[in-house]
This record gives sequence, C-alpha cells and structure tokens, in this order.
Amino acid sequence: MSKEHEKGMSIIVKTITRLTVGLILLYGIYILSHGHISPGGGFAGGVIIALSFIHLMLAYGKEVALKKLSKGVASFFESIGALLFLSIAFLGFTGGYFFLNFLSKGEPFKLFSAGIIPLCNIAISFKVGAGLFAIFVALVLLKPEKGDKK
Amino acid sequence: MMVYLLCLVLFCVGLYCVLMKRNIIKIIVGIIIMEFAVNLFFVLVAYRMEGRAPILSPDAEILNMVDPLPQALVLTSIVIGLATTAVLVAIAMRIYEKYGTFDITKIKELRG
Repeated sequence: MSKEHEKGMSIIVKTITRLTVGLILLYGIYILSHGHISPGGGFAGGVIIALSFIHLMLAYGKEVALKKLSKGVASFFESIGALLFLSIAFLGFTGGYFFLNFLSKGEPFKLFSAGIIPLCNIAISFKVGAGLFAIFVALVLLKPEKGDKK
Repeated sequence: MMVYLLCLVLFCVGLYCVLMKRNIIKIIVGIIIMEFAVNLFFVLVAYRMEGRAPILSPDAEILNMVDPLPQALVLTSIVIGLATTAVLVAIAMRIYEKYGTFDITKIKELRG
C-alpha cells in the first residue's frame, strides 16, 4: 500500500494512521449517536469525523484523502446537512408548530429514544464534518498565483 | 481564587505573544491562547464543588450539578473561534503569497 503513496509523511506515520483512522471515525460516530443521552452530540461528533479525514490528509497527502471524500462530495454533504435540519424542523408543522417533536419519545436513556433529537444530531454532524473538512481542503488547495510577487 | 488568577496569567501569555512577536503565525497562536483562557475562565466560574455534569442519568440522582449556561456559551464561543481562526490563517496565507514573508516588520508596501 505504501508504494503507491510516495507523497506524505514517513512510513511510521502512515502505518499508525492506517491503524487509527478507522477507530477515530468510529469514535466520532459513537459520540454522534449517543448525543441525546450523554455529553457530546452533533457538533462534537462531526468535528471528530472531520478530524479523521484531516488525519488521513496530513499523513498521506491530499490526493488520497480527496479520493476518499472529494471536494464536491463534501460540499454536497454540507448542503444536505442544512437542508435535512430545516426539513426536520418544518416537519413539525404536521403536528402543530416549528420544531415539534413529532416522533414517539420512547423510553428514557435508551439509544432509540428522544424523538427527532438524534436525527437533528445526524444532520448537524453532516454539516459540521463536511464544513470543517472543506475549510481544511480550501486552505490546502490554495495555490499562489504566479508572477504576482514583487 | 487561585485558578482565576492562573486564567489571567494564561491570558497575559497570549497578550504578550500578540504584542511582542513578529511572526504572523505566532500572533495567531497568541490570539488562540487568549481565546481559550477566556473559555477556561467561564467554565471555571460555572464549576461547583463536587458537581456533576448537568445531565440526567439512569443510575445516580444528581445532588449538586455545575452551571450549564456558561458551558453552552463556551461551546458557541469555540465554534466562532474556529471560524475566526480559519479566516486569520487564510489572510496569513494571502499575505505570504503577496509579500513572501510572515514577518510583520518586512511588510512595507504602504511606507510614506
């Protein structure tokens, strides 16, 4: 695997990244999915998910990370997150008012409970994760313009 | 009382970094240190002795919990700090493109 990736950091960093990046992604998903019963939630989970991709980009160079999650896909997920959050809020009008918790609340302290709050967390994590990754990609891909230097 | 003073010391470290350093990247790091000193101060103000996180849990009943309002404020503050840091880094990269240096004393386009 390391032969085709000549760019990036040394073999030690690449090996550790290969071992840990999946765990970081899983931990982000854990924080995200338990956001309504423990500390954490959409923002923190989204940041950790974005950090796993940023970790990949730092170790392997930008081509590998952009192959996993390209600029267009990140932009798409960011828009989808905002639209999903808004549409969940508008779906409350089916029962009465904005942001109505129209799903059943379930049993407290269980994973599948609290109505629309886990869905809102997922929408926020799409927005935050893709947005943070897009900021980093924008900073990485910013090329100096030629012939502008004094 | 001591921890509040330590927060002030941390804030002064950041202020020293902003005022005395010449490298733009070091100035940005100083701004981040100041920001997080203020965040730390808010969280410490909200702390109560033997307090738990203000979240209901199935096993234990909460007798004494910390103040949740500054924590919510600090969460928003962290998000805004992230955005301002990204803008600052982008401006620093633009400056490096135009002048070829991060030293603020060498950026002399407007000298009279």
